[in-house]
Amino acid sequence: MIKQFAVAGLAAALSMGMASSALAEWPEKPIKVIVPFKAGGTSDQVTRAFQVAIQESEILPQPLTVVNVGGHFSIGARQVMEANPDGYTFLTLHIALMGGEAAGLFPFGYRDFTPVATTGEFCVLPVVRKDSGIDSVEQLLEKAKDEPDTLIFGANLGAINHMGGIQLENLVDGAKFRFVQIGGGTANFTALMGGQTDASVLSAAEVANFTLNPDGTELSDAQIKPLAYTGPERLESLPDVPTLQELGYDMNYCIQSWWFAPKGTPQEAIDGLAQALEDASGTDRVAKFYKDKMFGSVFLKGDEMAASLDETWDRIEPVAKQAAQK
Amino acid sequence: MIEGLFGALAHLMTPLPFLYVLIGTVSGIIVGAIPGLSGAMLIALTLPLTFYMQPVNAVILLIGMYVGSITGGLITATLLRMPGTPSNVVTTFDGHPMAMAGKPGRALGLGIAASFIGGLVSWVVLLFLAKPLSIWATRFGPFEYFTLILMAMVLIASVTQGSMVKGLVSGFLGMLVSMPGVDPSSGQPRLTWDWYVLNGGLKLLPVLIGIFAVSQVIGDIVTIGKRMERIETRVSGMLMSFKDWRDQAFNMLRSSLIGTWVGILPGIGASIGSIMAYTAARNMSRKPEEYGKGSEEGIVASEAANNATIGGALIPLIAMGIPGSVIDAILIGALMIHSITPGPTLFITNGDVVWAMIATALVANVVMFLAMMGSVRLVARIMYVPRTFLLPVILVFCIIGTFALDNTMFDVWVMLIFGVVGYAMERAGFPLGPFVIGFVLAPLMEEKLRSGLMMTAGSIEPIFTRPLSLTFLIIAILLLLTPFFRVWREGRARRRAATAAAAADEA
Repeated sequence: MIKQFAVAGLAAALSMGMASSALAEWPEKPIKVIVPFKAGGTSDQVTRAFQVAIQESEILPQPLTVVNVGGHFSIGARQVMEANPDGYTFLTLHIALMGGEAAGLFPFGYRDFTPVATTGEFCVLPVVRKDSGIDSVEQLLEKAKDEPDTLIFGANLGAINHMGGIQLENLVDGAKFRFVQIGGGTANFTALMGGQTDASVLSAAEVANFTLNPDGTELSDAQIKPLAYTGPERLESLPDVPTLQELGYDMNYCIQSWWFAPKGTPQEAIDGLAQALEDASGTDRVAKFYKDKMFGSVFLKGDEMAASLDETWDRIEPVAKQAAQK
Repeated sequence: MIEGLFGALAHLMTPLPFLYVLIGTVSGIIVGAIPGLSGAMLIALTLPLTFYMQPVNAVILLIGMYVGSITGGLITATLLRMPGTPSNVVTTFDGHPMAMAGKPGRALGLGIAASFIGGLVSWVVLLFLAKPLSIWATRFGPFEYFTLILMAMVLIASVTQGSMVKGLVSGFLGMLVSMPGVDPSSGQPRLTWDWYVLNGGLKLLPVLIGIFAVSQVIGDIVTIGKRMERIETRVSGMLMSFKDWRDQAFNMLRSSLIGTWVGILPGIGASIGSIMAYTAARNMSRKPEEYGKGSEEGIVASEAANNATIGGALIPLIAMGIPGSVIDAILIGALMIHSITPGPTLFITNGDVVWAMIATALVANVVMFLAMMGSVRLVARIMYVPRTFLLPVILVFCIIGTFALDNTMFDVWVMLIFGVVGYAMERAGFPLGPFVIGFVLAPLMEEKLRSGLMMTAGSIEPIFTRPLSLTFLIIAILLLLTPFFRVWREGRARRRAATAAAAADEA
């Protein structure tokens, strides 16, 4: 008995010793994080917020270096996929990766990376013009059903907002928007302001930014209004906007920030970065960033993250296929 | 308003903020002047530094860089025919011929003064008209954009000298080169031959730096054995005389306003501003035959407009949180890290940051003017630095800059290949101007037209029924016809003269 304990204790001590010495080896040089978009976008901001938090709070002995690879996001993603898996190259990306894979844009997908962590999520709101006479999601979808292909829905075709619009359409049989290429959030806000389009989906931060005063009251000259929220619970800053689930629709559409590593990256580097990101998620810097951007503060890693990715894929694959046909 | 502005100006005059304006503007000028390195790149690389600065000072530094970089590009565009940044391409059309004619000082002086005025005009618009203009800009639908860009596209015909066929071929080649990549209107890749690096398309900076700067480097290398003709140079004339100001005043104002307006419209940048101002200037000019051979008006139009886009692009950013240019989008990213969200309420939430932006746009413009004027004498000598020293340095910067743009080696290859293409085109007598115009404008034109067609389910009727769009269309047609009309009128005048002479002979 005593002998068994001693052996177990020794083994535990040994493995702990090994683990800590292994961890001590990583990271021994700066860690490169590839953001497959130009500087300034949401993915870039998330990555940089964590970069700053990790450095400020001295969570890792080495800094993260953010590298923006512009052009199409598949280029940066491919760079990471094919990078030497030495534990010093990572990728931050979101649901676009799945959308592109499902639409057949590129012959690889999230399964070709090792998931590291999920850090935060933002959900979206269907919006219309104030003078549209539409006051609820029900009315919006009814109109899209009664007069199919007339409501102009601004989107970036194939991207996040387009997939959001398609999921909305799918809530009611026969509902159909006329999707028009406009671009991302700000471009769609501009188009709605100018009356070029009738509807779109915007992120929570965009809606708040374009329609609310700093004290939370509504901006008098805002031309748009949100109809519902695709997240699990109502937003603190938009308490009157119901969630789709409350309204009885089975739709939840939130965009999470994913950190990936190339396949074959040493486990200690994956665990090391995941731990650092988890610690950084608890810092004031990141908390404040989440609050400003109206992000949900979700954090996942390991098996939990893998399961969540598979679940998202099952949900988004058919939607992305639909988007590619339009 | 007065309080906010003067408060910010006072802050700018304190040592540390002033140092930031100075560093920002001067580093902007230097980076802008180096072909391959662009302002957007400098600002993106400076971002991590600004996270640790006061938000107001961060903005001061970044706006200074923005102003400096767009102006700096005119130095190399004029002296070496290598545009420092894509927005200075049009400046090479007339700046370089004038410099080669022995007047580099004057060419630079005109460019600098025009830049200064362009910056000032757009600044005044920014100060007084930000809100109404940015709301009006949202009414600009896809068909208005389409016809507006069509107006600039017509310039292909006007900038072509010599064979019209070669000009058109060059223009179409430019359009073709802009096609590969993920199709902006459907999200599907096209003309990429399953080659994933082409998904991002052939980007503006690598292609333009290749076609202009690298091709020029190749050309200079080929002729390096020949002794440079040491033409007599006069740096004098760099300060514009009263007569110059009078002659150029209207052109400057028009070009500045065009640049400001193009800046306000989200998504179309400084290069398009200078192309449009150049089109307008040439078509209204009394001496259109001088364009492309060292026209003073051409330099002024291009430089006034590209600097005016800065103030213009800040307008929707400040009034509505909509970035008017690539650099503005990066600025938004910088502000977000400081928990400042640009938007319609920015004036309320962070008035100090807004006023710092506006004040810096003015002060940086003045710093730019003084720094450039003060160094013209020195800078103009670049023309006579032995090419053996100059060319390798430029090539290295082109490569570093192009790589740093998006951190892909593919862009560097694109740049080098287009260097060879550009050189071959020049040798074969295909003008490069139309290539750039086709390359820069075609993607936007296509995207806007297709958005419009999606909205109307395939009908082009709104082009003719929306008043602004119809107006732009008519102007475009008139612009297209002017050169022919001119030829016809000259022909008629010649015939008349001939008959008159014949009549005189008979008498």
